[in-house]
Amino acid sequence: MVRFKSRYLLCELCVSDQSSLQLLDDRAVFTGVRGAVCRAHGDYGAALCSVSFAVKYLNADTGVVFLRCRKSHYRILWSALPFITHLENRGQKVPCAFNCLYVGGTIRTCQKFLIRYNIQQLHRMLPHCHNEAERLEVRRAVLNCSLKSLEKEEEEDE
Amino acid sequence: MGEHASYERLVFKNASVYHYMKIDLILESEDKRLNAAHFKQLIISALRDLYGEIGAAFPFDVLKFEEDTLTAVLRVYNSGLVKLWSALTLLGSYHSEPCAVRVTQVSPFLLALSGNSRELELD
Repeated sequence: MVRFKSRYLLCELCVSDQSSLQLLDDRAVFTGVRGAVCRAHGDYGAALCSVSFAVKYLNADTGVVFLRCRKSHYRILWSALPFITHLENRGQKVPCAFNCLYVGGTIRTCQKFLIRYNIQQLHRMLPHCHNEAERLEVRRAVLNCSLKSLEKEEEEDE
Repeated sequence: MGEHASYERLVFKNASVYHYMKIDLILESEDKRLNAAHFKQLIISALRDLYGEIGAAFPFDVLKFEEDTLTAVLRVYNSGLVKLWSALTLLGSYHSEPCAVRVTQVSPFLLALSGNSRELELD
């Protein structure tokens, strides 16, 4: 079997004000990235890149974005990302920068990387806790969002 | 067959790093004048339209530009030839006035542009 091969770019949106991420949605990221590709690579690049280009996932809390592109031309998209300085949604400008963390062939590998990356970040940040209470607070928050509680809820629903 | 040819054939195996293009700019109205700088600016803007800021950032030179006939000789690295050629093809207007570029000759050797076999008159 033959399938269309894609590249998934796992990017992190860097903003100075974390709450401004809530203003963004898929469409804003889509138009922002497409505009940047058009500016950096012209009509030719925009046309190559717009084939199967999609924003697969946007997490407004953590600012994680998955972008999908055809494997043959992902470099065009990749090289245009650093030129994005702001995104626009309904007339509101959100100054931000794209930080490309990982380029993967499937969503699954990107997800695996994201989990590993988040664990790494957690280990990096935990030593910055000043006292035991803060540490416990983080521990409680992490345990709170585990899959187990979701499963439990599902069982209860059933 | 018996006669020895009076010419010597030279074969140059390593291709040149440059390509040379002889092009014609065709404007709709005859009265418009433009100099070499305007001409290069026109080509650069055509490149930027098609290939953007990054794609159009490759070097090329206008070696010669004749203002009265609007013909020019361009020199470009082999890697940029296709981009330059396609941008020239899709160039459609100069100062919101229709124009076109005819590519007359393309060669890796500048000497080849000195004569055009299509204009040869054979008796």
